[in-house]
Amino acid sequence: MAELTLSSRGATAPARRSGVWRVSPWLYLAPAILTLVVWIYWPLVDALRLSFYQWNMLPTSPQLFVGWENYQRIFALPKFWQALRNTGIYVLGLLPLSVLIPLAIAIYTHDLPARWRNIYRAIIFVPMIIAPVVAAAVWRWLLDPGYGMVNLMIEWFGFDPVKFLADPKVAIWTIIAITGWKLIGFSTLILSAANANINPSLIEAARMDGASKWEIIRDIRLPLLSSSVLFLVMMTILLGAQWSFTYINVLTGGGPLGATTNIYYLLWDFGFSTMSVGWGSASAVILFLGFGAIAFVLFRLIDRYSFHDN
Amino acid sequence: MTGPFKMNRKTFLVSALALLAAGPAFAQAIPATIDQPVTITFYNYNLGSAGIGAEATRKLINEFMAANPNVTVEGVPYSSADASRIQADLAAGLPVDLVQTVFSDLDFAVTNFGAQALEDIIPAEELTAHFAGMHPNGLKLGVLNGKTYGLAYTFSTPVLFYNADLFRAAGLDPDQPPKTWAAVKEAALTIEEKTDAEGFAAGITGPSAGDWLFQGVIRSNGGEVISRDRTTLKFAEPEAVEAVAMLRDLYDAGVYDSLDIAAAMEGMAAGNFGMYLQTSAVQGVLVAGAENNFELRASTMPSFGDKPVRPNNSGSALTIHTTDPLKQRAAWELMKFLTSEHGYTIITSEIGYLPLRPAIVDDPQYLGDWIKAHPLVQPNLEQLDVLEPWDPMPGPNYRQIVKTMMDSVEMAVFGGADVQATLADAQANAQALMP
Amino acid sequence: MTTEAVPQPLSAAPARLRKKTAAGTGLNSAAGHLVMVLMSIFCLFPVYWMVATSFRPTNAIFETSLWPTTMSLDNYVYALNAIPIVQMLVNTLVVSVVVTVIQLFTGLLAAYAFARWRFPLDKLVYTGVALTWLVPFQVVMIPNYLLVAQMGLLDSVVALILPHFASALAILLLAQSMRSFPKEVIEAARMDGARSWRILWEIMTPNLRGTIASLAILIFISTWNEYFWPLLLSRTPENSVIQIGIQMFMTAEGNQWGPLMAASTMASLPILLIYVILQRQVIQSFMKSGIR
Repeated sequence: MAELTLSSRGATAPARRSGVWRVSPWLYLAPAILTLVVWIYWPLVDALRLSFYQWNMLPTSPQLFVGWENYQRIFALPKFWQALRNTGIYVLGLLPLSVLIPLAIAIYTHDLPARWRNIYRAIIFVPMIIAPVVAAAVWRWLLDPGYGMVNLMIEWFGFDPVKFLADPKVAIWTIIAITGWKLIGFSTLILSAANANINPSLIEAARMDGASKWEIIRDIRLPLLSSSVLFLVMMTILLGAQWSFTYINVLTGGGPLGATTNIYYLLWDFGFSTMSVGWGSASAVILFLGFGAIAFVLFRLIDRYSFHDN
Repeated sequence: MTGPFKMNRKTFLVSALALLAAGPAFAQAIPATIDQPVTITFYNYNLGSAGIGAEATRKLINEFMAANPNVTVEGVPYSSADASRIQADLAAGLPVDLVQTVFSDLDFAVTNFGAQALEDIIPAEELTAHFAGMHPNGLKLGVLNGKTYGLAYTFSTPVLFYNADLFRAAGLDPDQPPKTWAAVKEAALTIEEKTDAEGFAAGITGPSAGDWLFQGVIRSNGGEVISRDRTTLKFAEPEAVEAVAMLRDLYDAGVYDSLDIAAAMEGMAAGNFGMYLQTSAVQGVLVAGAENNFELRASTMPSFGDKPVRPNNSGSALTIHTTDPLKQRAAWELMKFLTSEHGYTIITSEIGYLPLRPAIVDDPQYLGDWIKAHPLVQPNLEQLDVLEPWDPMPGPNYRQIVKTMMDSVEMAVFGGADVQATLADAQANAQALMP
Repeated sequence: MTTEAVPQPLSAAPARLRKKTAAGTGLNSAAGHLVMVLMSIFCLFPVYWMVATSFRPTNAIFETSLWPTTMSLDNYVYALNAIPIVQMLVNTLVVSVVVTVIQLFTGLLAAYAFARWRFPLDKLVYTGVALTWLVPFQVVMIPNYLLVAQMGLLDSVVALILPHFASALAILLLAQSMRSFPKEVIEAARMDGARSWRILWEIMTPNLRGTIASLAILIFISTWNEYFWPLLLSRTPENSVIQIGIQMFMTAEGNQWGPLMAASTMASLPILLIYVILQRQVIQSFMKSGIR
C-alpha cells in the first residue's frame, strides 16, 4: 500500500516553478485538506489545548486550568506499564501472523498451479472482509469454554478445555490470534503482489547460475520483498494496537486482570469512555505523539535500509 | 468559554440564548395541565438493544402518548456503559428532558447534567400523592443530599441463583440453599467434588460489572466503600479487606473463578454452575436456559455469619433535566406513568426488574398472577425490605474512581496480590481523584 | 511500497509460472497443500460456523453437528422483526457507495496536486495527510459529533458520510501511483495544450484503473464494516447501518446468539457475494495496481 514517507520521491514529479506560489495545486487539494482539517486536525489541536484543562464539555460549566495534572494522572495509572508491556506483546505476537506466515504463503503459493493459488488466496482473504464486530461475535461463540466448537474439539482430543478469554495467561494470545486472523489475508495479498512483480528474468538468471530454490528465495526474493515486508512491519507496530481494539472492547474489556489491556485500550478506558474531556484529550495527545515518534524513527530506518527494486 | 474555536463558541451562544429564554420561565411553577402540544426526549438505554427491554419500553411510551395526545415522546437510545451521548447532546445544545440514569451516574447527572430535584419543580401535594404506596427503601435510592432527584425505574437486587438438580446430585438439600458465605463455600466444594460442574460464580467483578454488587458485599460485612458524607473512600478499611479476603479464599479454594458476565451467565444457563450471584435482571436468560434442562431456583444474597445482609440495588432511576415548565410537566407525567402500578407491572413482568410498589405484587389486577407463575422473583421482593442505595461516586472523575477500586479488587481476589496492600494502594490512588 | 507503473515483467509472469509448476510437484507440494488447506480451514471455518448457527432452531443453538440437523429460519424471522434490517442494509449500501465515490474523487484531485506540481509546503501538507492515520478515532469522535449536531444532521445518513469525504489512504495511494506515471506522457499532453484538468481525467485516471479498482474495494469494505462512528450517531434504527443492528443483539443480559448470527450473516452476505463475483478482479487489481 501507500507509503507514508516523503523521502525524495517528490523529485520525480515535474519540478516546474518550484518555490513559486501558484493556485492550481491548492485548488486540487482543497476538498481533501478541508475535510481533513475540519474533521481531524481541528479536533486534534483543540485536544492539545483541552488536555491542560478539567472540563466536562458542557457549555454551562467552566474550563478549569489544571496544568500537567491530566498527564500526571495518566502516567500514574497502575495499569499504565502493564498496558505498555502488553502493547509490545501484541506487536511481537502479531508479527508472525501479519508478516511471517503471509510471507511464507506468498512465496510458497507462487509455485502452485495458478488455479490452486487463486483459490487459496481467495479463501485466506475472506476474514479481511468480515466486519470486526461480526468477527468478535463469532469468535466469542467458537471459543466459549462450555459449548464452543474449539473447546469441544480440544476435549475430543482428550485435553482439558481452555478458557481462551478468561485465563489471564491465554487471553492476550486469543486476541492476537483473532486480530491476526483478520489480517493474514491482506498481508498475503500484498506480499503476493510484490512477489509477482519481481522480474522473472532475475530468477531465471539465478537459476542458470545453478542457484538452489532456497538460495533464490534468500538472495533474490527476500531482498526484493524487503520494502513490502518493512511496510507491513511498520503497519503492525503503528496500528497493531488499534486493530485489536474492537476485539478487546467486545470480548474482554481489557481483562481478565488487565491481561489484554494495551495502551490504546487503557487510554480509551480511562480517558475517552468517561466524561472528563481533559483525561481524554491528554490520552489522545500521548497516543498521537507516542506513535508519531515511533513512526518517525521507523521511517528513518526504512529510508536508510530499504532495498529498492530496479 | 475562551475556546478559540467557533464550534465551542457557537455551542455556548446557543446555550446562553436558551438559558436566557428559559430564564424568566424558570421561576414559574409548572403548569397543572398540558394544554398545548409539546415534545420531550427520553434518553433510555433499554432502547439501545433489540429485545424485550426495548419492546416493553416502546409499548409503555406508546400507551402514554395515546393517553396524552398533546405529548410527543422521542425515545433516544444511549449506551449505559458510557453516557457520552447525553453529554455530547447537552454540549450540542440539544434538549435532554427525561433520562433513564444509572444509579452510579446520579451524582454526575445532578452536578453536570442538570438533573432537577423533584421537590424543586413538582408541587408537594402531587409528590406526596404519587409517592403513596411506594416502598420507602425504594424511594431512598434516588435521594442525594436530601433531595429526590430520581425515581427508581428499572432496578433489581442481587440474587443467589442455584441449580437444584446439581444440589441433589451433590447430596445437598435444594430446599436449604446456603445463607452465609461459609455455607456457599461448603456447598460449592461439595458440588465440585461430587459433580462435573463448577461450584460458584458471581458478577462482582469484571469489565461491565460496575461496583454495585461489590458495595453490597462490603456493606454486609459492616463496611462501606465510601463514607456517609461521601468525602472519604473506605474500601481498604478492615471490614472491606475482610470481605475481599473472603472472596479471595473462595478463589483459593478453587470454587470461584474470574469470568466475564457473558461466560458466567451462559455457564449458569447451560447448567454448568452450582450457584450464581448476580442481578435478578438476568433471570430471563437463566429461565430460558433452564427450561427442559434443570431446575433453577433463587435465594437471597449470602451473609457474613450472623451479620445482616445489606444488599443494594443495581439499575436505573428516571431523572428530569429540562428547565422548561411545560416540558417538566410532560416529563413528570411520563415519569408518573412509568412508575405507576401499571408501569411497574410491565417493567417487572416484561423486562424483569422489581416493582417499587409492593401492593401490586398480590393484586391480581397487576402482578398477582404473574408472581404466582414466577416464584423466582420472591427473594428479590424479600430484599426490598433491607435494600440500601447504590452509592454514586462523587466528582468529575467518578468513573475513574470506580475503575481504580474494582481493578484492585479483581487483582486482590484473582490476581494473587496481597489483599490489604492492593486495596490500600488503590484507595490512596482513588482518593486523589475525589473532588 | 515503491510503485511501478504497470510493470512490464508482469505480462511475462504467467508463462513463467506455468513452466515452474510442472517442476514443482511431489511430496513437497503435497505437504504444502496440507498446510494451505489447514490455513483455509482456519480462515473460513468461523464464517461457515456463523452461517450454520444462524440456521439452527433456538432449542438446538448449542448443537455441534457440522450442519444443523433441522433447518430453521426462526432466527432470521426474529431478527427481521426485531430491527429494520433491510432498511439498515440499504443505508449501509448507500453510505458505502457514496463514501467510496467521494473519497476516490477527492483522492484523485489531491494526489494529482502532489504528483504534478512542486509547491511551497508540499512536503508539509503531504506529511500532514499521512499523519492523520495516527490520530485515534476517539479523539475526533465527540467534536465531530458536536459539529454534526450543529449542522442539524444527527440521525441522518448524511452524517455518516460527511467525515469520510477524504482519506489519507486514497490520497497517498493514488499519489504514489501517479508519481510513477511516465512523465513523458504528461509532458506530451501538455505540449498538445491539454489543461491539467483534462490531463487528470482523460490521461491519468484511465491509466490508474487498477489502483482505483482495488482502492474502491478497500474503501467500500472498510466503510461497510465501520462501527464506532455509526454507534455514536445511531438514534433510530431506521437511519442506522447494519453494524449497529448486529450490536443490538449483544445485550448486557446476554447475547442472543441465534438472531446475532442471523443478523451477522445478513450483514456479511452482500459483501461476500460481491467478493465471490469480483474475486478475480479484486485479487488481480491488488496484483496489478502496485499495492505491494
